Amino acid sequence: MATETEDAHDEGHHLPAVEDWPRGFGEASWWPFVTAAGAGGIYVGVALFLMGFGDTNIVPVVYGQATLVGAVGLFLVGLYGWLYHAFVSHFWQRGTDEHSASKLQWGMIAFLGSEVATFSGGFVYFFFIRSGPSWPPGELPPLLGSLVLINTAILIASSVTLHLAHGAIRKNNRGRFIGLLGLTLLLGIVFIGGQVYEYYEFIAHEGFTLTTGIIGSAFYGLTGLHGLHVTMGAVLLGIVFVRSLLGQYSADRHVSVTTASMYWHFVDAVWILLVVVLYVGAEIGGGAV
Amino acid sequence: MQVTGQLLLTVLMGALLLGVAVFLARVEDWRSYTPLGAGGTAGESGYVSQEKPSGIIRWFTTVDHKDIGLLYGTYALIAFVVGGTMVMLMRAELWTPSNDASLDLLGSATFYNSLLTSHGITMLFLFGTPIIAAFANYLVPLIIDADDMAFPRINAIAFWLLPPGALLIWAGFFPLPDVIPAQTAWTMYTPLSAGVGAGNQSNVGVDLMLLGLHLTGVSATMGAINFIATIFTERSEDVTWANLDIFSWTILTQSGLILFAFPLLGSALVMLLLDRNLGTTFFVVGGGDPILWQHLFWFFGHPEVYILVLPPMGIVSYVLPRFAGRKLFGFKFVVYSTLAIGVLSFGVWAHHMFSTGIDPRLRASFMAVSLAIAIPSAVKTFNWITTMWNGKLRLTTPMLYCIGFVSNFIIGGVTGVFLASVPVDLVLHDTYYVVGHFHYIVMGAITFAGMAGIYYWFPLVTGRWYQRRLAKAHFWLWMVGTNLTFFAMVLLGYGGMPRRYATYLPEFATLHRIATVGAALLFVGGLIFVYNIATSWVEGTRVSSGDPWNLAEKNLNTAEWAWFEQRRETALADGGEEGDAVTDGGKVDADDE
Ligand code: HEM
Ligand SMILES: [Cu+2]
Repeated sequence: MATETEDAHDEGHHLPAVEDWPRGFGEASWWPFVTAAGAGGIYVGVALFLMGFGDTNIVPVVYGQATLVGAVGLFLVGLYGWLYHAFVSHFWQRGTDEHSASKLQWGMIAFLGSEVATFSGGFVYFFFIRSGPSWPPGELPPLLGSLVLINTAILIASSVTLHLAHGAIRKNNRGRFIGLLGLTLLLGIVFIGGQVYEYYEFIAHEGFTLTTGIIGSAFYGLTGLHGLHVTMGAVLLGIVFVRSLLGQYSADRHVSVTTASMYWHFVDAVWILLVVVLYVGAEIGGGAV
Repeated sequence: MQVTGQLLLTVLMGALLLGVAVFLARVEDWRSYTPLGAGGTAGESGYVSQEKPSGIIRWFTTVDHKDIGLLYGTYALIAFVVGGTMVMLMRAELWTPSNDASLDLLGSATFYNSLLTSHGITMLFLFGTPIIAAFANYLVPLIIDADDMAFPRINAIAFWLLPPGALLIWAGFFPLPDVIPAQTAWTMYTPLSAGVGAGNQSNVGVDLMLLGLHLTGVSATMGAINFIATIFTERSEDVTWANLDIFSWTILTQSGLILFAFPLLGSALVMLLLDRNLGTTFFVVGGGDPILWQHLFWFFGHPEVYILVLPPMGIVSYVLPRFAGRKLFGFKFVVYSTLAIGVLSFGVWAHHMFSTGIDPRLRASFMAVSLAIAIPSAVKTFNWITTMWNGKLRLTTPMLYCIGFVSNFIIGGVTGVFLASVPVDLVLHDTYYVVGHFHYIVMGAITFAGMAGIYYWFPLVTGRWYQRRLAKAHFWLWMVGTNLTFFAMVLLGYGGMPRRYATYLPEFATLHRIATVGAALLFVGGLIFVYNIATSWVEGTRVSSGDPWNLAEKNLNTAEWAWFEQRRETALADGGEEGDAVTDGGKVDADDE
């Protein structure tokens, strides 16, 4: 996912976690345990929630909700500690060898590979119903409105501005870098707003929901998954943005800018595929025939 | 009546936990029993006691790949004991045909089905994947001479996601009111697993299992990303692609498979959860249809079997030559065949669906690719055999396990090739033949290779020797037990005995009893193994040389033993003790070769 530190080295001995809590040890850190406990807690929270959900009523629903809130908090604390000690603190003292950059990039490439598989589940479902006997579903909302076109343009624009920002920091042009990065983040947030607005329109005015026939599952499944990814991308870009405001990054120190933009461009590419396959693919021969 | 079984299981689990507690209590001073290689006391470059906190805190906070490897190994072995206990209950039930609604031992078929489901899931996801991660974590960085994994903290997170995963998967067995364990079998086929229709699979116990599975999948994916980054970028300068060892090659390929297989399973699990709880139509008739689940599941599931078998093949390719007295025959072809299997394994999934009525043209093409995938597997087998051909074999315990692996893999593979042929499969699908086929591989091959690895690297990790006689007893019990149990199953399948039933017709009784006897041998062997490892870890004879397997003589030494030797020397210089060594075919007293 994100990025990891250039580790401390001393007399050729490897000490990856000198800064972490507990202090004073080179190979000990509570952050992974805390982060994992938070993540595991989220699953347990969902489980408790399902145990109280609907007419199951094995435990009160609030158990699940409370566990979820607590676990998300724990997860964020762990994540903060980890990312802070791994990347942010002592930023300028770290080495900048090519090796650590390439390891982070390989990590990101591998992660994006796994993302392809994550998305393909939903796409395969759509291909199944699109080519199956139940098509057309006959109850499509107006998918191809101006909203999706504008939103697509916004997301593509954000990829362009991010690319330019990346170019700017390579030339050590900090002002331009921060400006373009901020613009990218803004465009990303506008895109998310647009998606929320689309959901609102569909649910409130068109009566098109997750359970509306076979297309509802595809639409909300795929756009929901994508929306989560844009949100996560925005969080990553937000972190990079805050760090840039704190004065970090330079022409030879910007690995996390690179990895965050790889992620952002990927999410952008998935969106274009999604528009072509889902929005356009469903409209063509799909609507009220 | 089901209560008897529940009670039995609870008692057994209790006994297990008690055993663990007693063991932990005995090792109250954790520091003094730290494995040799694990840092801490045997400090390097003056970092004595500074790398890790002492006591149990060390294990919760560690980001050292060796410690994390040991955590994975402990976790996997506990899961192995749990999954093994479950299946022993099933085999005990199957001692009699019990042709009435209440079973003789377990009380109800429902409980049998729950055990069946949990046994499969536990062995594949909580034992199989983690035990491989244990070897990979401990060894790959040593072998490629890396400082550590590329992302040490992500490595630790990936491990710590596993315990909550296991709790969720087993939650159905806990005394929670109104939660019953899943009975979907490990394949979780819809519509049964979607909870529709009569029956009790809409129970939340299934949701808990799906959530737990998703969590372990996230863990496996994080591990895979880490291994890819590690092998690509953390190799030392002398380790090139051309001389990368075979074990790391298999881990790299396996990680590539995990990368595309597990996230897809993750998505399918989430879709199933949504169908169950929020009324979506992913696997509903007229929507994606129940068959979509099978496609998604097996697109994950077939690569999964190679995710589980490739690294054990790597272990065998790595260890077997050490005791054959010569280098691995046709090294390049072993690597190429690994890569070929990696690619092909994504193109054979529908061979699990031959009898579902899919398009016959699809069936034929999947049959062709499935037959083709047997070729690289056979290439490896011939390479192992030719490595041993005319070699000077030393029949140490790890070597016995390697040979056992090859022999069982041949039977497992050949039965697989028959299944890949559509007409044969239509007859044998969903019979015990299939169960026999894949257990020859998952038990006879994968677990055997795991044992080869555990015995081979036991001195490396602990600085001590296991007890040789016990180890050999373990091997022979398992070799005989495996073949009794699973060959009986192959024959049962020929006879038409369907799989996943708690009862059977009286004519199958003899073969079922043979299978149960075999399983009992496996159980006894397992007890001996656990006893051997636990006691030898604490008080086994210390290794007396940096090259305990005496590999230097034939120029077969490898990087991890060089590291061991170096560690050992610093430890000795610090005043480590030395004792008599009873080796297993190593230098000091060559045993029964
Ligand atoms: C040598 C190449 C192999 C071939 C051609 C092959 C072929 C097959 C076929 C056609 C089936 C489906 C049988 C049926 O359900 O009717 C099957 C089942 C199975 N195979 Fe293999 N196999 C091979 C190797 C392996 C390996 C290496 C593993 C494990 C690591 C494995 C594990 C399994 C499992 C777990 C199942 C049963 C899945 C289930 O229905 O629960 N196979 N195999
Ligand atoms: Cu298969």
